[in-house]
Amino acid sequence: MEKKRANDEFEPGPILPSQSVDRFEFIKQEQNSSEGLSTSRSANEHEREERRIRKWRKIIGVGGSDWKQYVRRKPHVVKKLIRKGIPDCLRGLVWQLISGSRDLLLMNPGVYEQLVIYETSASELDIIRDISRTFPSHVFFQQRHGPGQRSLYNVLKAYSVYDRDVGYVQGMGFLAGLLLLYMSEEDAFWLLVALLKGAVHAPMEGLYLAGLPLVQQYLFQFEQLVKEHSPKLGQHFSEEMINPSMYASQWFITLFSYSFPFPLALRIWDVFLFEGVKVVFKVGLALLKFCHDDLIKLPFEKLIHALRNFPEDAMNPDTLLPLAFSVKVSKRLEELQQEYEKRNGGTLPKAGSTNRLLQAIKHKELSIKPERSNCVQKDDPSPRILH
Amino acid sequence: MARRGLGPAEEYDYLFKVVLIGDSGVGKSNLLSRFTRNEFFLDSKSTIGVEFATRTLKVEGRTIKVQIWDTAGQERYRAITSAYYRGALGALLVYDVTKATTFENVNRWLKELRDHADSNIVVMLIGNKTDLKHLRAVATEDAQSFAEKEGLSFIETSALEATNVEKAFQMILSEIYRIISKKPLSSSEPAPGPTGGIKEGKTIEVSATNVDNTKKQCCST
Ligand SMILES: Nc1nc2c(ncn2[C@@H]2O[C@H](COP(=O)(O)OP(=O)(O)O)[C@@H](O)[C@H]2O)c(=O)[nH]1
Ligand SMILES: [Mg+2]
Repeated sequence: MEKKRANDEFEPGPILPSQSVDRFEFIKQEQNSSEGLSTSRSANEHEREERRIRKWRKIIGVGGSDWKQYVRRKPHVVKKLIRKGIPDCLRGLVWQLISGSRDLLLMNPGVYEQLVIYETSASELDIIRDISRTFPSHVFFQQRHGPGQRSLYNVLKAYSVYDRDVGYVQGMGFLAGLLLLYMSEEDAFWLLVALLKGAVHAPMEGLYLAGLPLVQQYLFQFEQLVKEHSPKLGQHFSEEMINPSMYASQWFITLFSYSFPFPLALRIWDVFLFEGVKVVFKVGLALLKFCHDDLIKLPFEKLIHALRNFPEDAMNPDTLLPLAFSVKVSKRLEELQQEYEKRNGGTLPKAGSTNRLLQAIKHKELSIKPERSNCVQKDDPSPRILH
Repeated sequence: MARRGLGPAEEYDYLFKVVLIGDSGVGKSNLLSRFTRNEFFLDSKSTIGVEFATRTLKVEGRTIKVQIWDTAGQERYRAITSAYYRGALGALLVYDVTKATTFENVNRWLKELRDHADSNIVVMLIGNKTDLKHLRAVATEDAQSFAEKEGLSFIETSALEATNVEKAFQMILSEIYRIISKKPLSSSEPAPGPTGGIKEGKTIEVSATNVDNTKKQCCST
């Protein structure tokens, strides 16, 4: 045990070759054997995938130059395509395009570096304490003081300086970590800004502000939606005194990046970045629907357990997502938000009420840098790793 | 709401609800996993929101089922977690013996409990990570005398080495049991609400542990 402790102080050597990883480079759990499927894909499937990537590349254009126009012309096509999943090798780039973060990056050259190098944050120790507790089972983040942990630290520190009201809150690391698997530090930082400050959709900083106001609102909305969409289950939950804060807080706080299987989390994020937070509600409701007949029989303790350990087949994106898309929530979400605000006598910032920096972007024409790489790689040597 | 045990394995005399609180990183989640599953993780994910686990054990000759709510330690999370103090019979207030600030913050946690928990909640102070001897920053005597002054029971543990973990839970559960079993249960008493340990008897009926349903409590900030 003392030996293990010593590892804290010294960088461990290269990742042990004996650790087998899945296709997303998470260290495999023994039970998790289904992941190998992708290797045995047929040539046919492979070809279909290639065609899909070519199609996406054409839509995006060089470095994203054609993207905006295409979205404007054919929003429904884009929506459908995204719901089918963004090809993994284009994911990082497309996420930056649909979240508006690429625009932020271009408008703010040097800002990230400034935040990382020259500013100090009151949250530095809090961030450090959590670094090794964020995706501890992923190869990229596992190595103490390795590139993964360093970029995670930098992004979170930069954000905590950039928005001192939010600072650093546990849970943000999982968002940043997910992003860092698909883009550079600076890109991940601006995507975080885009989300929390509301570049495209309503700002989500309320997830992390004092009092966690947006978490509270989402939990309220979710509880009502459960009652409306699955009345029997809603009834059962209230009889068993289960409320969504017991199982869904982390869904909202980390946008499913905390404990959901990675392939599912990615597919949800594809849609989330394009369509907004409503997909989080849809997926949550779909999960409850999918497991409805089991859940309805369970008493309190078993319910809590079941709501944190959904069966593998429920977590299959190709099963769950179509079900989620069939759940309609937009209108009710809005009404419930108003109801919530009336009860609590406050309003959270809406999309468009964001700071001047973001306002300006909407008026500025997009100019795109020359192509970096068609596939934004996670091992893209990120030049801004500091410390 | 009331229900009986689910078969022989589930039978118990009392059901106690206990919360784990204290600064982030002091080892709450590992104390819980050590106690309920005999597991320890050197790198465990930080807790987001609340986690929950149970264990049934013998205390003072009685079978006690304990429901434990483990909470996120960061201050910002109290907006969510403080709702879980309500109805808890016990609180394990954990600090890290290698980090003085986590001990200094114990006062703030006590205030949290005063503000949100039932007034007669049994509080136990736990200094965790005693295995890190060379890094110790909080002396046992200091914590001991602080606990005495505040009327808390006190123990030091190591979740890593499984030292005193069982004992800590035994101690707080016995204490709760002694209080509960002394108190006569009369129907004229105000409803125990979400409180755990209530009823004694051959068939066990307990109200489900819960967080308050009153939105107002947790949602105005
Ligand atoms: N050496 C040592 N480390 C511990 C002990 N308990 C927890 N830890 C470590 O401290 C870190 C935080 O533990 P965790 O249980 O997640 O803390 P929590 O935030 O209070 O829930 C983890 O890296 C644990 O491995 C202990 O008794 N001894
Ligand atoms: Mg924890």
